Amino acid sequence: MADAAKLAVVRGPSTSALGLQPSYDVLVVGGGIAGMESALTLGDMGYKVLLVEKEASVGGKMILLSKVFPTLDCASCISTPKMAATSHHPNITTLLYSEIEGISRDDGGLFRVRLRRKPTFVDWAACTGCGECEIVCTVALPDEFNADLVARRATHIAFPQAVPKKAVVDRFGTSPCSFTCPAGVKAHGYVSLVRAGKYDEAFRLHMEDAPLPGSLSRACYAPCEGECTRGTLEGTVPIRAIKRFMVDRYYAAHPIPEYGPSAATRAERVAVVGSGPAGLSAAYHLARRGYPVTVFEAAPLAGGMLRYAIPAYRLPKDVVDRDILNVTALGVELRTGTPVGSLAALRADGFAAAYLATGTMEGYALGVPGEDLDGVMDCMGFLKRVNGGEPLDLKGKTVMVVGGGNSAIDPARMAVRLGAAKVVIQYRRSRTEMPAHDWEIEAALEEGVELQVLHTPVRFLGEGGRLTAVESLTMRLGEPDASGRRAPIPVEGSETRVPVDLVVLAIGLKPSTGSFASEVELNRNGTVKVDAETLQTSLSHVFAGGDAVTGPSMIVQAIGQGKRAAFYIDRFLRGEALAGVRFDEPLPVVDKAEVVARVANITPRPAAPRHERPVAERLAAMAEVELPVSEDEARQGAARCLDCGGCSECHQCVQACPAHAFHFEMREEKAEELVRSVIVSTGFKLFDGRKKPLLGYGRFPNVINAMEMDRLLAPTRPYNTVLRPSDGKAPDNIAYVLCTGSRDCTVDHRLCSRVCCMYSLKQAQLILGALPLADVTIYYMDIRAFGKGYEEFFQQARGMGVTFVKGKVAQVDERPNGNLTVTYEDIEGGGGKRQMEHDLVVLSVGLLPNRDALQLFPGGQLEADPNSYVREVDEDLEPGRTSIPGVFVAGTASAARDIPDTVLHAGAAAAQTAAYLKRMEEGR
Amino acid sequence: MSATTLRDKQEVFRDELVMRDRIAALLGDGPKTVPELAAALGRPSHEVLAWVAAMRRYGRVEERGKANDEGYFAYALKA
Repeated sequence: MADAAKLAVVRGPSTSALGLQPSYDVLVVGGGIAGMESALTLGDMGYKVLLVEKEASVGGKMILLSKVFPTLDCASCISTPKMAATSHHPNITTLLYSEIEGISRDDGGLFRVRLRRKPTFVDWAACTGCGECEIVCTVALPDEFNADLVARRATHIAFPQAVPKKAVVDRFGTSPCSFTCPAGVKAHGYVSLVRAGKYDEAFRLHMEDAPLPGSLSRACYAPCEGECTRGTLEGTVPIRAIKRFMVDRYYAAHPIPEYGPSAATRAERVAVVGSGPAGLSAAYHLARRGYPVTVFEAAPLAGGMLRYAIPAYRLPKDVVDRDILNVTALGVELRTGTPVGSLAALRADGFAAAYLATGTMEGYALGVPGEDLDGVMDCMGFLKRVNGGEPLDLKGKTVMVVGGGNSAIDPARMAVRLGAAKVVIQYRRSRTEMPAHDWEIEAALEEGVELQVLHTPVRFLGEGGRLTAVESLTMRLGEPDASGRRAPIPVEGSETRVPVDLVVLAIGLKPSTGSFASEVELNRNGTVKVDAETLQTSLSHVFAGGDAVTGPSMIVQAIGQGKRAAFYIDRFLRGEALAGVRFDEPLPVVDKAEVVARVANITPRPAAPRHERPVAERLAAMAEVELPVSEDEARQGAARCLDCGGCSECHQCVQACPAHAFHFEMREEKAEELVRSVIVSTGFKLFDGRKKPLLGYGRFPNVINAMEMDRLLAPTRPYNTVLRPSDGKAPDNIAYVLCTGSRDCTVDHRLCSRVCCMYSLKQAQLILGALPLADVTIYYMDIRAFGKGYEEFFQQARGMGVTFVKGKVAQVDERPNGNLTVTYEDIEGGGGKRQMEHDLVVLSVGLLPNRDALQLFPGGQLEADPNSYVREVDEDLEPGRTSIPGVFVAGTASAARDIPDTVLHAGAAAAQTAAYLKRMEEGR
Repeated sequence: MSATTLRDKQEVFRDELVMRDRIAALLGDGPKTVPELAAALGRPSHEVLAWVAAMRRYGRVEERGKANDEGYFAYALKA
C-alpha cells in the first residue's frame, strides 16, 4: 500500500521530551462509518489523520447491510463515497490490514502507538482487483462478509465494493506437513490441488521443490504425515498416497517431461559428484538457475540409493528412470560409470564449483571373527548386487540379516523374494528398540521373515573359506544407554550355533567420502564437514550434502540438501555473500491445537484406505507391494485436510495473476507512531444466537440472525435471492424474534440495542419487496420506533401486511421438512402458550460492546461504563470524551446507536478532538 | 430436536472443492434444484446449497428462470 511509505518507524525511547515530533495529529482506530466520519471531518479541518483498520478495506459493518432505515437507501451507495473519500483524502493516511498492539500516553501528552501490519502477500500497488486469483484458489473458508453463509477463498478480495479493491491471502502460518518437509515440498499445496481435481498442477507444484516425486511417492517415510493435524484426530491425511496418485497419473500421460533444456544463462560449469537424490536435486535446481551441470556417477546406472538400495518391490526402477528424466531434460549431463577421484581434477577440468553427494554406499563391518568369509556381505553390497541386476540364487538357503534398522528389513524381504528357505533378522535388543518402522517389520513378518531378538553374532564359521554357520550370544536388556534405548548385555555361556548360508550385515552405513579426505575436511565419522546453513565445505568452491554429510537419512532429506546447496552455490558463483543469508524462511508453523479449535465439531471420516498386493502375489515376482489409490480415494483422502495454514501455498494465484502481484515472502511488519490524540471507533459486536440455545440458532439451518438476512437481501448476496439455508427454497413464511440477546438478563445484556426493531421492520419491508407472496411475522415485546420517521416506517410495514405478534418467543423446534415451530406467549391474543409454523426464523440479535477497544491501552486507563462500552466521562455535555485526556470515542464503541446517531456522534468526537488539539497548540 | 445434523461450516465449505465436480457432472444432464442434487448425491440439502452457492459465486453454475411451485430454483452449468 502506498500509504505504508508514509509511516515513520520510531524506535527506542522516543518521547516528546526527547524532541520527537508526532507524525499525525489524530489516530483513528477503526474504519467503520464512525471512524471514517471522524477522520474526514478532521481531515477537512486540516489535521493529519492516521486511520488504522484491521480489515483489508474500510467500511466496517455498514457496508455489509442491504439498505438503511427509514429511508431504505442502499447502504453501499451511501457508504462507498465515504470509503473512497477516506481512502483518497490528502490529510488521511489509511493503514489497512493492520492492528494496534498498544497505545501509551507519555508525560508530554503524546501517544506512542505500536502497530502491527499484517502481510497481505499481495503488492497492492500492482493488484488490479480483477479477482482471477479467487477463482483458481484451492482453499475454501467461510466468508465473513457474507456472515459465513457461503464460502470464499483463502486468496480473496474482502468484498465487491472494497476500498481499496485489493486481494489478500489468508495465511495463518505454515501448515505442519509443509513445514516439516526437509525438501520444502508444499504438501498442503499439492493435497489441496488434488482435492480440487487439479492433478497436473499438483505435480508441477511438487516440481518447484523436488524433482523426484515418483521415488518420494513410493519410498519417502513421509514426515509430513507424522505431523498432520488430522493425525491427532481419527487419522492422518494420506499424503504420500495422494502424491503417488498424482505422480502415476502424470507419468502415464507424460512419459517424458513437458519441458526441454533450461536456458543456459550462466557460464560457470558445476560438477555434481553422485547421482543419488541429493545429487540429482542439486543438479536440477542448478540447471533451473541456468548453470551447465555435469553429474558424475561411479556406478553403471544413475540413482544412487534410489537405484541400488531400495528394492524394486518398494520402488520400481522405471519410476526412478522417469524421475531422472525430470533432471536430464533440463540439459543436465549424466556421466555414469565415471568415478571422481579428485576435486582438484574437477577444478582443472574447468568446473567452477562442485557438489559432493556421494552418499553412504558402504556398510560398516561388525568386527567379529569370520567376517571375511565368502557368504558374509554388508547390506549395501547385497542390495547393490541384487538391485543392479546381478543374479543371486538363494533357493533353499538360510539367510541371516544382522541389524534392526530399515536397512535390515530390505535385504531380508529381498532374500525371501530370491527364494531363501529361511530368513532371520537377528537383533541384539528387543523389538521395541528396533529402529526400523513398525509397519516395515510387520510387512517382513507377513512375508515369512523370522525375527530373532536379543541375540548377536559373535563368530562366523566356515569351511574352505565359505560361511557355514553363525555363533550367537543371547542378550538381556540393561539400563538405557546414550541412545535412550536399553543397552544389550551379553548373557554369559549362552552361545548357540545355527547353520547359515548367507549373512547380511545391516548394522549401519558409512559415508563414501574416502576419496576426498585429503582435499576437504571430514568429521570423525567420515562425513564431510560443512557449514550447516550453506553446506559449504572447507574448500570454498566445494559444497556437500545428502547422506555424505548427514549420515544415513531420508531420501527427502537428501533432496532438501540438494536444493539448499544449489541456492548457495548460485550465490557463491555470483560472488554474493553466503553468511547471514537464509535459504528458506517459511512462516512459523501453525499450532495444531489452534487448528482443531477453529472447527467447532470435526466430523470423523473413514480412515484412508491402504492397498497392498497379497503376500503370495507379491512374492511371486518383484511386484510392487503397495498399490495405488483410486482417483476418488485420493480426492476423499485430500478432503480430510484441515487446511491448517489457511492458504495451502498451491501457488495457483501466483500463476493466474496477470499483474504478478503475489509475494509470498511478505512478512508482518511492526512500527511505532507518535500522535497527538486518539479516536476510538472500534464499533460493536453482535450477540451470538447460540447463547439462546432454545431458539435453535446453530442447530437448525433455517434459524438465522438478522445480519445473515441482511446479507441475503443485499445486492451482493451469497445466493441468487432470499433462500432458506436448509434446502435453497424461497421462504414464504418468515418469523422475526425481536430482542434476541437484548433486554435479557439471562445472557447478561439488559440494554436495549436500539436498532433491532427498526432493522427488522426494514428487512420485513425488503422481504415483501423481494417475495411479494411471503408472510412476515414479527414477535416483539414492544416496538421502539423513536427516531425521525421511525413511527411512519413502522406504520408502513403494517400497511404492507407484516403481522405483529406481541409475545416473547420461548422456543423454536425443527420439523422434518425443515420448517420451524415457534412457541411463544401470546400477550395480546388472550395470553397463553401458542405455536406457529414458519419456514424461516430470523433472530433479531442485539448489539454488544466491543471489549477489544479497552485493550488498546494496556494498563486499563481507558475506562469502561457498567455495560462494558467505552465510558464517556460527560455524555451529556462533552460527548466522545473518555477517561484519558486526548482520547475520544466515536460511534457504537460507546453505546448501541443507529447509523444517523453514529454519524452524529462521530462528528461530535471529531469536534472534541479538534478542540483538544487547538488547546494543545495554544498551550492551554 | 433437529432432524438435521449440522457439520461445522468450515468442513462443509471445504468439501465443495471435491463435490463441485460431482455436482457439475449431475448438472451436465440438465438443470436441477438443490433437493434434486442432494438426493442424487446422498448428501444433506443444506450442504448442497452451500456448494452450489460457492459454485455460483465462482462462475460455474447459474440459476435458470424463476423458482418452481415449491419455491426451488433450478441450477445449470454456466455456459
